[in-house]
Amino acid sequence: MSKIKWLWSIRLGAIALLLSFSAASAESPLQINSDAACMKCHKRNGSMLGHHGQDTMKMSCSSCHGEKGDHPKKPNDLVVFSLQEGSELDKQLAVCRKCHTPKKLSAADWTHNVHAKKVPCAACHKLHSATDPMAEMTPKVRSELCSSCHAGKQE
Amino acid sequence: MENSKRRFLKGTCALLAGATGATLLTTVNAAESAKAEAEIKYAMVHDESKCIGCRACEVACREVNEVPEGVSRIEILQTGPFGEYPNQFYHFSRKSCQHCEDAPCVNVCPTGAAFIDKETGIVSVDAWKCVGCQYCIAACPYQVRFINPVTHAADKCDFCRETNLAQGKQPACVAACPTKALVFGNLKDSTSEIVQVLRANPTQRAKVALGTRPKLFRILAKSGEVVL
Ligand code: SF4
Ligand code: SF4
Ligand code: SF4
Repeated sequence: MSKIKWLWSIRLGAIALLLSFSAASAESPLQINSDAACMKCHKRNGSMLGHHGQDTMKMSCSSCHGEKGDHPKKPNDLVVFSLQEGSELDKQLAVCRKCHTPKKLSAADWTHNVHAKKVPCAACHKLHSATDPMAEMTPKVRSELCSSCHAGKQE
Repeated sequence: MENSKRRFLKGTCALLAGATGATLLTTVNAAESAKAEAEIKYAMVHDESKCIGCRACEVACREVNEVPEGVSRIEILQTGPFGEYPNQFYHFSRKSCQHCEDAPCVNVCPTGAAFIDKETGIVSVDAWKCVGCQYCIAACPYQVRFINPVTHAADKCDFCRETNLAQGKQPACVAACPTKALVFGNLKDSTSEIVQVLRANPTQRAKVALGTRPKLFRILAKSGEVVL
């Protein structure tokens, strides 16, 4: 019995060691990722590597997601960015529109005009990853993205 | 005298009979070949009210027909935006060969490289016959022809005659279109989808006044605009 326990503790210890290594290697030097209050729990799913995380932008998690409030209790006022499981559309859009005016979005790409107020920005854009999948798309990838929603639809 | 007259009459009769027989034969032949010609006449519809401007058609055409970068057989032209934010929209139209029944490109080609395939009505190019004189490019009223930088021959949409169609598949652009805005088919087959679509919708063709009899049809987007 004690032998089995001992074996398990070794296994768990090894896993913990491995996990801490991988966490350390994924850690980024960006200021935003040292926000202790959030990173205590969201070390693995919260690190911000993209453009919006740059130190010069002086952004924090709450700049977009809002103040902690009752989180992690539900319901809470945090803004979740996603097409399927996100906060209400208007709530998501309002956050992005604080900086991104319709005029600038229109100039950046025509597709913004036809999707305005219809889908959240997060339907296409990903901010946490090091590069936004929308940057530098090949025409093929771009058209496939269109089809992922529009396929078979009678417009 | 009598004899020679009779012989003359006989000869003429025989000649006439022979000639009529021959004409009859040729008419029969012509009718047969006309029948063979008439079985397939390919055409395409671009439903602009369904098109979302994703350009999957352009991408697929380039891939399947190995069209090099810098030139293209099909282009989606975009106008807009129309309307006010946040309810803006665009219009898309297809620029590609119209497969004219009376094709100026074919009429001017000095080598016979530009030709109309009698069995399908597809206007195509025999790359090996093309000398690159570019008369066809100048003659095409729809400005869809180009010199392929790899083959150095005139090139354009051939309804995928040498690629997908030869393999029994739909043209690449049609297969790729996510909204089914493109319909390809045989005008001579009254049960084909394209005939149903053409019967059910008002359609337009470009520059019909020129007498080129183009076979690329467009269904205009519902919310029409006036562009000044
Ligand atoms: S559209 Fe131009 S290239 Fe096509 S058949 Fe007509 S004249 Fe020829
Ligand atoms: S029919 Fe074939 S060649 Fe013509 S535009 Fe479509 S994919 Fe290109
Ligand atoms: S693939 Fe279809 S929907 Fe997309 S641009 Fe071409 S015709 Fe339009």
